[in-house]
Amino acid sequence: MAEQEILLVGRGLTKRYGGVTALSNVDFELRAGEVLGLVGPNGAGKTTLVDLISGAQPATAGELMLRGTKLTGPASRRARAGLARTFQYPQLALELSVRDNLLLGRAARRHATPWQMVVRAFAGALRPHAPADDAAIQEIADELGITGLDRLAGDLTLGEQRLVEVGRALGQDPLVLLLDEPFAGSDARGVEGIAEVIRTVQRRGHGVILVDHNVDLVASLVDRIMLLDRGQVAFNGDPRECLASPEMQRVYFGSDIDDETGEGTGDAPQAEVQDVRS
Amino acid sequence: MTVKTSTVQLRRSEPRSGLGGLILGAIAALLILLWVGSNGYKQTLVMSAVTYALIALGMYVPYLMAGSLSMAYSAYAGIGGYAVGLISTKTGLPMVVAWIIGPIVAAVLAVVLGLVTSRLSGFFLAAVTLLFGMAFTAFLIDAESITGGSGGLGNLRPLNLLGWTPTPYQMMVISVIIVCLTAFLLDRMRLSPWGVIVRTMRDAPRAVEAAGVRVPVLNLVALAIGAAIAAVGGALFTYTAGSITPETFTLNVVFLAIFMPLIGGSGTPWGAVAGAVIAVELTLNFPALETSGTLLLALGVLIILLVAPHGVIGYADKLRTRLWASLRKEPHGG
Repeated sequence: MAEQEILLVGRGLTKRYGGVTALSNVDFELRAGEVLGLVGPNGAGKTTLVDLISGAQPATAGELMLRGTKLTGPASRRARAGLARTFQYPQLALELSVRDNLLLGRAARRHATPWQMVVRAFAGALRPHAPADDAAIQEIADELGITGLDRLAGDLTLGEQRLVEVGRALGQDPLVLLLDEPFAGSDARGVEGIAEVIRTVQRRGHGVILVDHNVDLVASLVDRIMLLDRGQVAFNGDPRECLASPEMQRVYFGSDIDDETGEGTGDAPQAEVQDVRS
Repeated sequence: MTVKTSTVQLRRSEPRSGLGGLILGAIAALLILLWVGSNGYKQTLVMSAVTYALIALGMYVPYLMAGSLSMAYSAYAGIGGYAVGLISTKTGLPMVVAWIIGPIVAAVLAVVLGLVTSRLSGFFLAAVTLLFGMAFTAFLIDAESITGGSGGLGNLRPLNLLGWTPTPYQMMVISVIIVCLTAFLLDRMRLSPWGVIVRTMRDAPRAVEAAGVRVPVLNLVALAIGAAIAAVGGALFTYTAGSITPETFTLNVVFLAIFMPLIGGSGTPWGAVAGAVIAVELTLNFPALETSGTLLLALGVLIILLVAPHGVIGYADKLRTRLWASLRKEPHGG
């Protein structure tokens, strides 16, 4: 495969809460058209890494470059630079319709500056509805298999809510899509919808960072996998190699495996109590 | 395709024109104007309702759409009123200028206050903005050389629009039209992409931020728009009353304005207007219980919250939907 352009680079990303180090000196690269899987047990730092990239939390140290430009500032600025994300716990306006929730992703870019925010408020009063938005929302909904756009987001199942979040992120037309546990609570159709989105984003030459507990599922969808353990990168490379690696065994089953644990991967309980104090 | 259940069918797409609300609002406004006639007392009641409605409409944007309860609205209405008073007594400028300056000053002040309180939310935001409202009243009393002290500013020039001086009755009609237009435009704002983003900010601010909209800035914009609307209300009242004092817009108005959308229905700005009319009727015009009007209002709020949690308009809408559903069922059942 020809070397693709590097979209997103992270160097030395570190996050400390007081004396607790949640993420320590993480380096990664994401190329155009690449899907990077991020796995690890609970508390390994997956969501923290997504938060540091998206700007939801400030990093203690380290830097990020998106297409060679330093990525800094609040989450909104990074979103406009080309990042979109979903949340481990879906963040939807539950009293609004699915359609309105999808609209946010698409409409956000028109409300970037304070001036735009003022002008759009009055423009909205004069012309509240743009048919172009409807068409774009319908397209995204069809792609993901979302039906019943007039339902309230609060009436959806958790899996459907995740799907709507993915749709909202797609509406931003991002360069890099960060999916934080998009499969939890999804049925087979939801999983297929999200898998299809990942392939589409990939085909457009954009990048995806996919976070999930389900290592087998992630490994089947990604080009490269990064295994986090207690805030540190334990493995970074080919997904099949990762599944078979000793690091994988150590992280999910503890260093000494007995035969009983077998080959099962996924949401294995942690062998020992976390002690990440430095 | 799966068969949709009837409940799904009932939850039809929300029309985005806001015309339905405008038509109903205009009919109600006409009925009120007919009821008032040339009765001066009733005209004063309507002007009070108009002012309350505009203050409640102002609060609607930051409070019910964006979810931050700022209580400085007595100050914003007061700024609108004092802009009228100061233009009249200290300058020779046309009175209509106050209508522009007041809302702008109120909006700027709302932004400054919003910046100072940007780290506060919920109870603490309410408490600090409430204190600001009280401090503003104290300022009006103390800055006697500017504001006329506790006596306020009186004998104001009447409003003059390009040579036309509206009578009190005409002024009332203009004010009612302004309220209807404001509610209509706010309703459309609520339904527009801007409104969708602001309403998402209330429940899921992280999602709004992650989508590319700076949440604290959008909050300031919502506060500024709300303050400007309240200032228009203060100005209208002062044009009609011909005077303004520090006691014209007190914290009582703010407390009433918080309940108005709850009474009328928080789902649409028209609920704030309906709530203002009901509040004025109960607190000022209820014949038997002159001084206990506020008590009656509190009781009314409790009853409404129990019986109709979505307010009077929400309740009416529910009845209409039920009636509609039963009418459609008849032909099939018979």
